[in-house]
Amino acid sequence: MTELLQTLIFGALIGGVYALMATGLTLTFGVMKIVNMTQGALLVLSAYLCYSLWVHFGIDPILGAFLITAPMGLLGVALYKLVIERVQRIDHGLTIVATFALAMIAEGLIALAWGPNTRATTPPYFNRSFRIGSLVVPQAQLYACLLAIGVTVVLQLVIKRSWLGYAITAASENPEGARLVGVEPVRVGAWIFAISVASTAFGGAALSFLFQFVPDSQDVWIGLTLSVVILGGLGSLAGAFAAGLLLGVAEAMTTTYVSVRWATAVPTLMILIVLTIRPQGLFTRATRQDLAT
Amino acid sequence: MSEQDARPRQRPSKWVAGRRGIAAVGVATLATMVLAACSSSNSGSSGNTSGPLKIGMSLPLTGPVADVSKSGYEGYRLWASQVNASGGLIGRQVTLKVLDDGFQPAQSGSNYTRLITQDKVDLLLGTFSSLLNAPDSAIAARQGMLYIEPSGGAATLFTRGFKNLFFAQPATTTDLPNQFVEWVTSLPADQRPKTAAYVTQDDPSASPAVAIFKTKLEALGIRTVYNETYAPEESNFDTIAAAVSHASPELVIHGAVATDGVQFVRSLEKVSFSPKMLFQTKSPSDETYPSAIGTKNAQAVFTSVAWSPQAKYPGNAEFVAAYTKMFGHAPSEDAANSYTAGQVLAAAVKAVGRIDQKALADWLHSHTVDTIVGPLKWDSTGVPQGTMLLAQWQNGTLQIVAPKSAATTQEVLNLKPAWAS
Repeated sequence: MTELLQTLIFGALIGGVYALMATGLTLTFGVMKIVNMTQGALLVLSAYLCYSLWVHFGIDPILGAFLITAPMGLLGVALYKLVIERVQRIDHGLTIVATFALAMIAEGLIALAWGPNTRATTPPYFNRSFRIGSLVVPQAQLYACLLAIGVTVVLQLVIKRSWLGYAITAASENPEGARLVGVEPVRVGAWIFAISVASTAFGGAALSFLFQFVPDSQDVWIGLTLSVVILGGLGSLAGAFAAGLLLGVAEAMTTTYVSVRWATAVPTLMILIVLTIRPQGLFTRATRQDLAT
Repeated sequence: MSEQDARPRQRPSKWVAGRRGIAAVGVATLATMVLAACSSSNSGSSGNTSGPLKIGMSLPLTGPVADVSKSGYEGYRLWASQVNASGGLIGRQVTLKVLDDGFQPAQSGSNYTRLITQDKVDLLLGTFSSLLNAPDSAIAARQGMLYIEPSGGAATLFTRGFKNLFFAQPATTTDLPNQFVEWVTSLPADQRPKTAAYVTQDDPSASPAVAIFKTKLEALGIRTVYNETYAPEESNFDTIAAAVSHASPELVIHGAVATDGVQFVRSLEKVSFSPKMLFQTKSPSDETYPSAIGTKNAQAVFTSVAWSPQAKYPGNAEFVAAYTKMFGHAPSEDAANSYTAGQVLAAAVKAVGRIDQKALADWLHSHTVDTIVGPLKWDSTGVPQGTMLLAQWQNGTLQIVAPKSAATTQEVLNLKPAWAS
């Protein structure tokens, strides 16, 4: 029983981390139908920025995440205005190619700026745990999971309760109708990218103290974040969080009760299963558009 | 117009035409074979005998092992600059032709093919990891090129019958467990670990070495309580660490390859499980290892290395000094290994006196080369006949504890202290 509980704790915590990493992608993919392949690179960039703040100024990476939110948001606006919006005008589908190319460029630039060496931040909690009886709760994962909950709740409030959220919903569901009521989809798109990229600051901070990273660490995270978004259903922040948890628990259970070798195959297997039996994702309802396609 | 030209041309008889046809096909086939032989084999002397000596290599300068490769490349650069400063090789200055493969085996293979067939390099030097060196050495073998590799010690690389492959470290992974097992054997029976856990990445170097560890330690009566292999993509080790903790082994043998070494230790720290003895391959020799796991936590961790900066072999102290001066930081083991590969290549070229791939390989098979990792000699498959060094972190320094001839300290910490965090 202890082993099962411990496995569930580890799974839920790492699942929260996955959800945190995927937050930005959930917004762009779900609301704008843009697969932003720079998500992994932006996470790694955030991790490096938190690392620099940690090494040079001793700033805790979680605090660092709040500090880099604004510049990351501005980077998101620049990304949208300079690339996404222009490419979209040519062909919406080309955005995946453009962002993939940008991710490769970003990897090179990160390597130039920080070098190829492995980095990690080591705040006091990076290798500590709380103990509840014989159960272990790693502090780093717990804080990352709490960050994930915080970011999800704030973004959910923004989307559901603010004028910006109404505008985002209107522009994504009916751009022409949104224009008629004074909502400019291009401006809304810039906002979505600002929020999306800013939110990667928190995922990057978690990456910096949970894992060692190098410029090409994005390869690992783009796959995992896409898995979370597809499983959760497009645009559902709560769904992405739940999908992250599910993925984390499934991985942990596989490691403990099936085979360590199979753990990394879990996301792919789950996507295959979900796309076969519930293509709209686990936590969203099918729409008329889904049925038509 | 001559009379002969004025005569109407007669159609050759079918027999004559048939013979001419057969002859033409024969000549064409022969020509093709000769051309193919010329283009696909470099067993003879190189056509270029003047100008810079082009030495080609493909390195993972980007990608997950870019840090390792950067050090390795620096080792190659230092070697080339020293060779050139001393007048070059066989009177020719050395230039390095380096391509990046991003740690993709397909790209690496493509790069070596290009270096040989398009760039027409005179010589090759190897890359990093068994993953890349396995296909690249096969390409070199097919093209008849000498291939000296600074890394890639998986025993499987040397069972393919290649005569031109040479490993520029003292031993392959088959030898890796020996010094540690000998040390465990030397302990009084009551101080030997009773149980062991084996965790390894699915890797051509790490997993066979860990399998040998398991076989040898079980033969000593050390009971296996956990034995798992994880995929190279694995990044979350908390659950594995919890399972190891649950099994409660006294000794943990970890076949680490890159960042997994640090991630696993961090997970062991999180679950508060500190084995009495910990051996990890590869990772602990990385300069960032102590800072990544907490400096005090590296204390008494064992690993196996090919080279030590303190070793007394000829040229080693000069290598450390020159490298530090040139790059502003101390050399890593990877830098030393690539420098060694360069030393081996230079020794063969100087001795043979010309670029003849087969003659160079033959010379290496029959001679011993003095290098900064000690004297190297190889068997017929390119396996070096030396021994790896057993190293242990002691008070922030990676000390060599075995064999005695290379030891930098006489003290071995039998028990690892509990994690400092």
